[in-house]
This record gives sequence, C-alpha cells and structure tokens, in this order.
Amino acid sequence: MDKPTNQNIRIGFYVCHCGSNIAAMVDCPAVAKYVETLPHVVLSRDYKYMCSDPGQELIQKDIAEHKLTRVVVASCSPLLHEHTFRGAVEAGGLNPFFFHMVNIREHDSWVHTDKAEATTKAKELAHAAIMRVAMHKALEVKRVPVHPDALVIGGGIAGIHAAMTLANAGKKVFLVEREPSIGGHMAKFDKTFPTLDCAACILTPKMSEAGSHPNITLLSYSEVTKLDGYVGNYTVTVKRKPRYIIEDKCTGCQECVANCVYKEAKFPDEFNEGLGKRKPVYIPFPQATPQVVVIDPKTCLNFRNGELTGKCKKSCVTACGEKQAIDFNQKETFLELKVGTVIVTTGFKAFDAKRMPQYGYGKFPNVFTALEIERLVNSSGPTGGHVVLRDGKTEPKSIGIIHCVGSRDKKTNRWCSRVCCMYSLKLAHLLKEHTGAEIYNFYIDMRTPGKGYEEFYDKLLEEGVHFIRGRVGEVTDWAMSKEEMEKGKLVIRVEDTLAGYVRRIPFDMVVLATGLEPQEDAQSIRRMLNMSCGTEGFFLERHPKLAPVSTFTEGIFLAGCCQGPRDIPDSVAQAGAAAEALVLIDKGYIEQEPNTAYILDDECCGCKSCIPLCPYTAITFDAAKKKAVINEALCKGCGTCVAGCPSGSIVQNLFDDEEIFSEIEGVLAHE
Amino acid sequence: MKLTRTIKYEADRVKGFGDEVRSVPGCEQLQSCIQCGTCSGVCPLSIYMDYSPRHVMALVRSDFKNEVLKSHTIWLCASCYHCTVECPRQIRITDIMYELKQRAIQEGIYPRHFTIPVLAKEFYKMVYRYGRVTENVLAATMFLKTNPMEAVKMWRLGLGLLLRGRFPLVLEKIKRRDELDRMMKVVDKMHIDQLHDDQKKPRHAVAGGHA
Repeated sequence: MDKPTNQNIRIGFYVCHCGSNIAAMVDCPAVAKYVETLPHVVLSRDYKYMCSDPGQELIQKDIAEHKLTRVVVASCSPLLHEHTFRGAVEAGGLNPFFFHMVNIREHDSWVHTDKAEATTKAKELAHAAIMRVAMHKALEVKRVPVHPDALVIGGGIAGIHAAMTLANAGKKVFLVEREPSIGGHMAKFDKTFPTLDCAACILTPKMSEAGSHPNITLLSYSEVTKLDGYVGNYTVTVKRKPRYIIEDKCTGCQECVANCVYKEAKFPDEFNEGLGKRKPVYIPFPQATPQVVVIDPKTCLNFRNGELTGKCKKSCVTACGEKQAIDFNQKETFLELKVGTVIVTTGFKAFDAKRMPQYGYGKFPNVFTALEIERLVNSSGPTGGHVVLRDGKTEPKSIGIIHCVGSRDKKTNRWCSRVCCMYSLKLAHLLKEHTGAEIYNFYIDMRTPGKGYEEFYDKLLEEGVHFIRGRVGEVTDWAMSKEEMEKGKLVIRVEDTLAGYVRRIPFDMVVLATGLEPQEDAQSIRRMLNMSCGTEGFFLERHPKLAPVSTFTEGIFLAGCCQGPRDIPDSVAQAGAAAEALVLIDKGYIEQEPNTAYILDDECCGCKSCIPLCPYTAITFDAAKKKAVINEALCKGCGTCVAGCPSGSIVQNLFDDEEIFSEIEGVLAHE
Repeated sequence: MKLTRTIKYEADRVKGFGDEVRSVPGCEQLQSCIQCGTCSGVCPLSIYMDYSPRHVMALVRSDFKNEVLKSHTIWLCASCYHCTVECPRQIRITDIMYELKQRAIQEGIYPRHFTIPVLAKEFYKMVYRYGRVTENVLAATMFLKTNPMEAVKMWRLGLGLLLRGRFPLVLEKIKRRDELDRMMKVVDKMHIDQLHDDQKKPRHAVAGGHA
C-alpha cells in the first residue's frame, strides 16, 4: 500500500479530557505529543471539553489559521458527538467527511484500569485514525424526500389519539384496525381510574371524530400484511377482510340484525368476553365506529366452512332493502398505500387465566377475569350493569380479587403489568357500589404511583374494602367439613402475611386481575416492520429514556401497550409519538449518511451473490446490464455485501480498502 | 402475666448465616424472595407451623439462625414440593428446608423431644449400621427418646401388627455389611453427609461471626 505522499494533507489532532472521564485513565498530553510526530500532522492539542462551544471554535479557528485539510478528534463515542464535530469541521470550511473520530472513552478509559496501558492504546487508536483520515474523500449528504402521509396500525386509544394528532395537523392518516370497530380495550371498560370518568363517555366522541375526520382514512376489519421501502417512502399492503357488507352503503340501521333468521342471539359475543350473545350479523357495540354491521361467516347460515352455500333465506338482505349494503360475494382484497411514517399502536393481550389452573378459571363458573367484570359492571354490558354470578341471577355477597395473575411470576410473565393494582381498586369500588358485597383484595405489593392514585387507594381503604397482603395459593370449591360457612362457596387459601396466619376465606365470586402480555402475533408484526423486541416480547424502543417512542427502524414509531404495559394516560401521552412523525413529515426530507456501498460497474460480473446477503433488501439485479444495483436510500452501510462480493467490485464510502488498510497499519505501527 | 421483650438486637443475629445458606447449590434463589406468601398459601402443613415458610425465608435472609433452627417449621415440611412448584420466583423452598434440617441436626439445636428430627437421626443411624430399617424398632426408639407414654397407648396397634406378621422381632440386616462399612467410611471422610454426629466440623457460622 502506498504511503500518502500528498503534501497538501495537513491534519489537526485534538484529544479531549472529557473532564476526568478520559484524563483520569489516559495521559492526554502524552497522546497529543505522540501524535505530533506522525506524518502530515501539523498541530496536535489536548483540551478539556472538545464538544463545548470553545472546543468547536478551536477547531474552526485552527482550520483557518493552520490551513488544516483533515481533522481527527479523540474523545467519546461517535454516536454522541461525531455529528457535532462534523458540523464544526463544516463550519470551518471543510467537507465534513474529512473528519474522523476516535473513541478513547467507551473503548479505552472507561474499560481499563492501567493508565500506562490505556495511554498506549489511545496512541495506537489515534495513529490508526491519522493514517486513515489521510485517505478520506469528500462525500456528500443526500436528501431523500418524505411522503407526507402516515400510517397508524391499531385503533385503540393510543392509535386513535396518534391519528387525530396527525390529522389535526393537516396530515393524511390511514388508521388500520383489525377488529370491526376501533376503540380497542378501552371501549370495553366501564369507568377509568382514578377519576372514575365513564370510559365510553370520553372515548366514543374521539372514536366518532376519528371515524369522520376528513384527513383520516379508517380501514377497519383490515390488517397490514406487508411493508416495503424505507423511511419517508414506505409501501404498505393492507388486507381488507370481507365483512360481507359494503361499508359505504350501510347506514348502521341494524334492520338486518333485527330480521336475521336467528330470532334469538345465540353466539358468544366477543366484545362482551363471551358473557353476552350475538347473532351472525351484528354490530360489536352501540357506539362502534364505523357504524357498520359485520357478518360472521363462521355462524351465518349462508356459509359453511367459509364457502357460500346460499341455503339461508337471507331475510337480512330483504330487510336491508334498497340500500343493498349486503354482499355475500365479498372477497378478501388488498390495498396498497404509500406512506412516509408508521406509528405502531397494536396494544396488548390480556393474560389467559386458564394458564394458572390453581385459580380455577374455566373450572369454577364463578371465577371471572377482570375484563369480564368490566363488562358486567357496564350499564351497556350483557347484564345492563347488574353484577350477577354465572347463573345470571344471584348477586354475590362476597368477592375476592386476586392481584398479579400472570404478572411478577417467573413461570408465566416476569414483569409487573403496572395497571392491575389500580384497575383492581377501581373494580373493587364499582363492585361495592353495585352489590354492597364484602370485597377482599389479595395483593403482593400495592403499586399506586401516579397522579391521584394513592389518594384513590386511600379512598378504598375508607370505603371498607379489605386488603390482605399475600399471594393466593389456591381457589377451591372443597369446603372443610367443620366450616359451614364454606359450603357451596369458592374458598381462597392464602397467607395473610401481615397478620401472620394462613387463612381460608369463602367467597361467592372470585375476580382474577390478569396481567398484560404482548399480542399473540407481535413477533410477525415485528419481523414485518423490521423492529426489535425485548426478551418479554414487547416492541423495543430505541432508548428507554430518551427515545421511548422511536424504534431502531427510522420512520417507525411506537405508542401504547405494544411497547410495554401502561395505563390510559400514559398511552395517550405516548401517542405523542405522532409529534415525532410530524417532525419528519414537516421537515420534508431525511438526510442520508453517505457511508453507503456502491457497485463498480466495470468489475461486477453479475453473479448475484450479494443480493441474498443484504439484510435491507437494498440490492437488485439489472437484467439488461447484467449488473447488481444498490439502492442508496435503502443501504444502511453494514458492509456485508462488500465483504461478500467474490470479485471485490463493491466499495463502501468511508470504508474503502485503502482507508481500512491504512487504519490497520496505523494501529499496528506503535510498538 | 409476664411480659417478655421481643425486640431483636444485632447481637441476636448470626451474621453470615443467610449468605451461607444461599451459597449451597439449589438455595441461591433465596435472594430474590418477594415475601408474597404463596409458599405458605399452598403448604398443606403451614397450618401447624410456628413460622410460615415465607417467614422462614425472611428469617434466614436476616441471619436469625437460632430462631430458624429451633423452629418446628423445618421439621413439619413433608417435602411435597408444592411451594417449590408454585413459587413465582422459582425458589427451591423444599431444598432450603432440607439444608436447614441438616444444619439443625449437625449443630444439635433442633427442638428437643420433637419426634421428627429424632426420627430422622435414628433412621440414619440404623441404615448406617445395618443397611436396612426395621420399622418397629425404629418407632420404638423414636418413642423412647421423645414420649414413651405415647408408645404404651399404641399397644393395640402393635398387637394387631404382631398377629399379622408385620412386627418382626429380629433386626433386619443386609448381607456383607463390611462392604457397607467401607462405603460409609468413604462417605464420612468426604463429609458428604452432615447428619452423623462424629463429623461435627466447625464450618458453620456461629454466634459472633465466622468460625
């Protein structure tokens, strides 16, 4: 490899103390002194804080005074300040890519304990950078336009709020919801803690507003099946499931429901957690948005195994009359959308209480899940707000609420689901209000952090709700013979850890406060959107504190429970992810790092071996020229294709052969 | 009525005891106990215990060695493993109980005249010597060392067993006991078992710090 001989290369080197972060372990003046002796270096300084304004001004001044053509800064991680220094170099009048950064903090001072050795390592790394920077070429940052439309996946409260925010800012939004109506879990709730606001009263106006907003295209009963492209230019494929109703023609009059051949509703109603019944043609709940019915082919007489039989006399079609909104021939259709940004608000799944057989859900009829109770206490629920046992008539006189079902348990879900303590308190209050029953809460720890939450707990204590600190061992219907009080009841066996006794307490009704889990298909969504997941399966944010709604994929944002369990206020606050999307949309373009790979056309033999290697599907094959082509906008600069190309005909900016070999030579030069 | 002080001072703790138990393979998870009480809630015998299993975990963690080793709880544990199965932190509570039982016997501070530790020890001694257990002799020894009157009360059961040939009058022994002896000598040498009295070793924390 030729040594750089160009006399025009004048390198300025700066080593940063980073307060004592670096200086305590690396002898910075010694590093500066060593670098001064290297070829092409015209000045070498050490400085307390290079990232400070005076530090940056120092670089700019030196570029002018000493006619520097290259700059190297040895300091922290490029993730932190490469951008800062490139800016300073550019302000000094140089191409920003004539700069190189050496990480002597995370890679050196923070991880070593021997000052002499750490100093040597800093010298070696600096030497490598000096050698490589001489080879740097001027590069240009490219701008890619951002499509102004946005996609929101999931129509729960987080999705609705995010879509409304964007729509109110004048952006076109596609809101995709897989159920027949938007509203998500919140639509099922009766009241919300701690203010006891009626959930429907605050949610349904937002739902209908979203449904009729001129800037929102609501795609209910639809699923996103494919996402191609890159930040600012995504192509989304949406599957529209057949609801056998033409949405534009249906007015929501529900004449079809009234005239269905099934006179009585006899199928378990999903919205009411199976506590109520519906017909094959139904509207999930009165305030459903859109106000369009749906036909369930699994139960409709006109279908068998998904095939049209035509055996029903179709009284619904007659009832619909001139509107002609019913179309039994509807098929699955696919819609292609162009969007610039995506907000993922796919929510959570409630823990399946059957996974903890010791609590008897599914075995004892009077063991309920919290979501079932939400429907029971709801005045528009299956019992009209009348809390009764599974027999449909008996009012419970004693109710036990078991916390942490499927939370804080290594055998099911390790995490705390965050909302169960509070919703258990809320249900305890509502159940007491509806039935006047004796209510017991069985908890491990009460977790009520939040505005007004502790006060709500206080209120419940004053209302005379019992709190027993102990995780329930089992729920049984086996009464101990001596205890008349246990006959025909559900008995909870628990250690009252504060009183210091193991107790058996009989109840009429047991409520399981089930935890929150990732959606069942979270993994396939994750793969489709090229996101990451934490070990528990919730989508991973870019930074838990400073980038909680961004993902590792540019232009894709998160909000709500798909990122982790959270309550309504937090979900809505997080739906401000929309603001992050707005930043992108309003800026109108994104800047692309020029560290992309490109094909040397003359040398590419068209073997196609690079194409399957690219993790970003950025490489295509130009059949006419018989050459590979790299889409710069998709290339993330990982270098896989560069290493994989058998003929060496792929080159990556900032990582070409001479740059890398010089760097290696530099790092080995110091003895 | 006489009032006694229940306050515990630092001197009442045997510092390092909790760490020591935790260092035994199988007992490491003790650290992550959240004191939820599931173990006590599912334990079929917790209704007879002086300290609940949850309470024992807390006492061990806080180095209250004497209180734990003197308690009935560890001897009432019937090794059904229900607590271990249900523990949300996957603490092997039954194994910790075993560890505590072994220590209690070795240090000789189990509750006096309580049948279960005596039975455990006599059982061990008998197997050590004869390679086999003769149940009626074992039961008789247990009663003699704890509550002889109780044995007298059970004469009817004894008679019934005798009549049906379930009450052997000779000690059961295995053949080639010299080989068993040789095996047990190796065991003794390696300090594998901690129940044998002759093997008392000062490897446990005692009051006043590490020995």
